[in-house]
Amino acid sequence: MFLRLTLSCALLAGGLAAPPSAPRAPIPLPPQPTSSGAATPSGTPAAPATGTGARPPSAPCNAPYRVDKTLPNGARWQLCWEMRNVEGLTLTRIVYTPRGHRPITVLRSTSLAQIHVPYDRGRPRYHDIGSLGYAAIPLRAADCPLGERREQFVCVTTRARGHAYLKAVPDRLNMTAQGRDLVVFAAFQVGWYTYLAEWAFSDDGAITPRVGATGSLAGFTTTPEHGWPIGVGATGFEANHTHNIFWRLDFDVSGRADDVVEQYDFSGSGTATRRIQRTVFAKEAKAVSRPMRWWRVVDRKVRNADGHRVSWEINNSDTAQYRGPADEAFTRADLYVTDYRSCERLATVNPSPGCARSVDRYTNGERLTDPVLWVNVGYHHVPRDEDADPMPSHWQGFRITPRDVTAKNPH
Amino acid sequence: MGRRLMVMTVAGAGVAVVAGAALFVSGEQGSQAAGSALRASAWEDPLTGQEIAQATTIASAGSRSHMAAGRIKLLYVERDDDKDASPGRRSADAYLYDYGSDRLIVRTVDLGRGEIVRETVARGVQPPPSKEEETTAAALLLAHPGYGRTVREAYTKAGGGPLRSAAELGLRGLIFTPSGERGSAKECEVHRCLRLFVRLPDGTWLDTSRMVVDLSAKKIHTLEW
Repeated sequence: MFLRLTLSCALLAGGLAAPPSAPRAPIPLPPQPTSSGAATPSGTPAAPATGTGARPPSAPCNAPYRVDKTLPNGARWQLCWEMRNVEGLTLTRIVYTPRGHRPITVLRSTSLAQIHVPYDRGRPRYHDIGSLGYAAIPLRAADCPLGERREQFVCVTTRARGHAYLKAVPDRLNMTAQGRDLVVFAAFQVGWYTYLAEWAFSDDGAITPRVGATGSLAGFTTTPEHGWPIGVGATGFEANHTHNIFWRLDFDVSGRADDVVEQYDFSGSGTATRRIQRTVFAKEAKAVSRPMRWWRVVDRKVRNADGHRVSWEINNSDTAQYRGPADEAFTRADLYVTDYRSCERLATVNPSPGCARSVDRYTNGERLTDPVLWVNVGYHHVPRDEDADPMPSHWQGFRITPRDVTAKNPH
Repeated sequence: MGRRLMVMTVAGAGVAVVAGAALFVSGEQGSQAAGSALRASAWEDPLTGQEIAQATTIASAGSRSHMAAGRIKLLYVERDDDKDASPGRRSADAYLYDYGSDRLIVRTVDLGRGEIVRETVARGVQPPPSKEEETTAAALLLAHPGYGRTVREAYTKAGGGPLRSAAELGLRGLIFTPSGERGSAKECEVHRCLRLFVRLPDGTWLDTSRMVVDLSAKKIHTLEW
């Protein structure tokens, strides 16, 4: 399914440096912070410009709900967490501070918005968010390696993420660094399954929300065309199914104002050239994932030291793109962009009176003034013998990457 | 989405805190912010136990007779995190369900002013089940002639001995919404219906995939497929 939206489309012939409308004059950059005093390896540190409301409030939450972590390379993440009855682990007021720069707000809040589990046979079809807060599993020390447990249910830890970079320099030592993530997660018991809901905040500014499904297989047997033989011989066929996981992301890039969502495509197939295409979502929109397609939430007014607009890129290229029947229209897109409404909480079975029931119905052509993104990532699980108890975690998620938040690699 | 919100604004109604209304606190929702009761909560802090109790009392005051009769129940209280709300004001959303009319009632309580500032009501809107509802659903399942026997036998076989009450089962409930189902389960388009996962003493789970507990009609639907 292609885009079903009302939009304004602008084709950029020469790349992003030449938007069709005259660029605004950059907001004067604020003074460099003096406290860190750390110069970047690549020269003078650049600061993201801060527009109205860009400075995060000093204390949006208290301990133990406050997470404030400076990773070894100097990148700092600040956020609050809450275990809500319905959505479970919810992260709010997420602020990123690249080394040598001012803080910049990224997300007002993010949480799971649904785990839809339809079986290939057609039945059953579960909506697995049912008071996730009640389903949180108390974590033991071994469940939260090298981290700290907050009120039993939340783990705050860090872990290695491999090479941040490696560059050979003639006649000198290689430039090399190992990256690290701040990880915040909770585990939920929903029937047979244990869901691990995790957000990783990298020391390069990237955010990776993902969910791991582990615990036990449901044990549903089915006919050979809808399952895979588990156990001895080929008599019991464990049922194939899909996990369609929705995340709700209320981006407030450098504050609530002036956020815009853009979609990027690269035309040309079977040709030597690729041409960049930018689509601006002026109104609420539904979009599907395609090869090379990505989106970004960009602040129209805030620019980095190079004069480029500050943004976060969303890449949802690793989805099974499950498409359900007509009465599951919420499965028909991989990204929804809606205007903020507090009653739009879950992607399906929304629990708010006076509000629509599912994300496809939230998306009805309103002009976007404060965009909320709903990312739908599908994983098709064909069981295998190795899935015997305890079932190995299978993961699904997507990537949020800073794009032009800093003028150079700050680390 | 469009502005179809049905809101009854009752700001200024000055609903008094009714002594004794704490009777209706379900008792199952503890503090969401244990340990923070002795200091002022910051804007994004979870609700304290005291705030939950306060919101429960205020939100229940107008439904006391129906709650005493068991027709309306408080499901839970959530922190109101609406970013359009006045900065610094803490408020809570109390979710109540009227099984008699199948209406969800959400009352927003301004915790500083101690009054209900908004009420929204809708039929056929189903928030996730509360802990108490999960137990109620399990009790209905046990009361069913066929399913009750199946559950008891499975419980005993799994090493649990004789099953004395639904509270002894490991329970997890999900809202069931019909999706092309035939038969009586179509009633769940309006009724409050739960799927129930039942964990046995040996850690295994019953296959309950065809069972739907209808809390409105107090009966079990068997899915046909």
